[in-house]
Amino acid sequence: MKNLIISIVFTALMMPVLAQNSFNGQHKYDGEHKNELSGYVMCGHNIVTAFFGGLEVSYKRHLTDRWHVGVDAQSQFGKQLYSNDVHGGYRLPIGWSDFYFDGKVLYNRYQRWDTNEIIANISITWEIPYFNLRIGESLIHFHTRHFGYTEPLTFTFGTGVNIRPRWNSWNLGLFFRNYDDFYYENWNINWGLDFYASLTKQMKLFGEFNVRPAGSMSQLASKYETSGKLGIKYVW
Amino acid sequence: MKKIQTILVVMAAMMALTACEKVSPIGVLVSGTGVEDRVKMSHLYFQQHKGEGHFFDISGKDEYSFIIGADSHMTTDGGRMREMLQNGLDHDDLLYAHLGDMADTKPEYYINLENVISEYKWKFARKYFEELFLGNDESVEERENPDFYMYKDSLTGMVYSVDDVPMPFFPVVGNHDITHNGWAQWSNIFHSSFYEVLVQIKSEPLTLDRFIFLDTANGTLGEEQVNLIEEDGYALREYLETNIRNTFVFSHTNIFRPSSLQFASTFAREETFFLLNQFHKWDATIVFCGHVHKWDEQVVDNVHYITLDSMSERNSPNPGDYLLRVHVKANGELTWERVRMNYTKK
Repeated sequence: MKNLIISIVFTALMMPVLAQNSFNGQHKYDGEHKNELSGYVMCGHNIVTAFFGGLEVSYKRHLTDRWHVGVDAQSQFGKQLYSNDVHGGYRLPIGWSDFYFDGKVLYNRYQRWDTNEIIANISITWEIPYFNLRIGESLIHFHTRHFGYTEPLTFTFGTGVNIRPRWNSWNLGLFFRNYDDFYYENWNINWGLDFYASLTKQMKLFGEFNVRPAGSMSQLASKYETSGKLGIKYVW
Repeated sequence: MKKIQTILVVMAAMMALTACEKVSPIGVLVSGTGVEDRVKMSHLYFQQHKGEGHFFDISGKDEYSFIIGADSHMTTDGGRMREMLQNGLDHDDLLYAHLGDMADTKPEYYINLENVISEYKWKFARKYFEELFLGNDESVEERENPDFYMYKDSLTGMVYSVDDVPMPFFPVVGNHDITHNGWAQWSNIFHSSFYEVLVQIKSEPLTLDRFIFLDTANGTLGEEQVNLIEEDGYALREYLETNIRNTFVFSHTNIFRPSSLQFASTFAREETFFLLNQFHKWDATIVFCGHVHKWDEQVVDNVHYITLDSMSERNSPNPGDYLLRVHVKANGELTWERVRMNYTKK
């Protein structure tokens, strides 16, 4: 109960300044709005923590047509995972393509295991109307009790396809990647379906069904985590 | 474009429809028995065979040692496996541990592996047990056939056929052991993928060294194993009230990556932190891992993590220090040395 209250307070405090940036390939920037505010609820099942749920909020500011910055935060109950990040990037449009050069610094607090994790990630994303591809590198450091450990550089990759072009009012897509909004993995992939649908000119409903197996790259993927997200995005 | 859209929709629908308990959506990337079934089978087997060959009493001895190998990936050539077992036998190691990926899944490779294990059970029995020949003394054929022998353990009074000799060889299961339904073959030889071995150091007060063998072949412990670990629900639980001096943990999947170029799957984030926390709770002395075929040594939270290189003649064709021997003195002091393997493929 105590953790639940802490999580709600933590999330509420972060609400005014937050954002999420994971739905590359679906929300093409229209060149008009300056601000994006979004949030989603999530729930799922994890092998270690069993059922978990959570809240996420995000804010993104388009400084210019090319430059953007943002902040994100989440609180996951069950896992007792509290996260926030800051990120920024540059968009380079070339013909049908957009190239994004992004950087992100992420902090995770795994309360259940008394572990803090800090991640710095840089990545390049290539998007065309029906497809996107991201590669990058992450530097991950975690601190558990009195001991810290910095992992060797972790390669980041992700790709996705969608059935309508990115500027369409609705979309459905498939993704495959080794990261999510608030973690970067080694060779553990997660994959699933995502969608969005415009509710008004300024508001979109979006969601994701995410399967995160363990050991996938060792030819022996096994059930580890299954989750879903459902959220609203508002732009102005 | 319409065709692509149709294919995508059908694929998406298939994945959504398979998202149920019996047919996991991750099934598109899975083959063979899952970790949950293996752990249930292993735990049941271990409960029913509690203590059979899993308890050693070295009270009064100055020192004991054990040898560890990893990732033998045995196919048709049993040379390196023989070398490991012979080394352990020559050195009078208390036990021989293997960190998984013993053979490369094909049935014929497991037959070869079983033959090597049987060969060394006989050698082990001849070295340590009293031999009883049941055949005709004048028959050379019968004298060379292990089926005509029985072996008596003078300490326990137990009598064994060669097949049943409790050679102290303790493997964990690796991902290559169970792809293509290899668990059926692996379990037929080794029975359990998740178990515990205890070594009694002294009886008053009862002091034990604990060896925990985890099933991490899938890159996850699975829910059943997580629950058993959290309950400390091992088969030999009655001993946990006693004084545990050293705890050694054996896992196929490695915790730490030796370098950024090691692309094999390791544990997911939450499970990594769960394990680090659990090893701390167990006050683990050393955690031994395999999987990435690369030597690595880390100390995190006062726990040593040692990842072994592959002992396979295919992955490591040249002679090298692929094995590890740990020496444990009566006062609890530990040292370890890397052990050279000289066998090369003929």
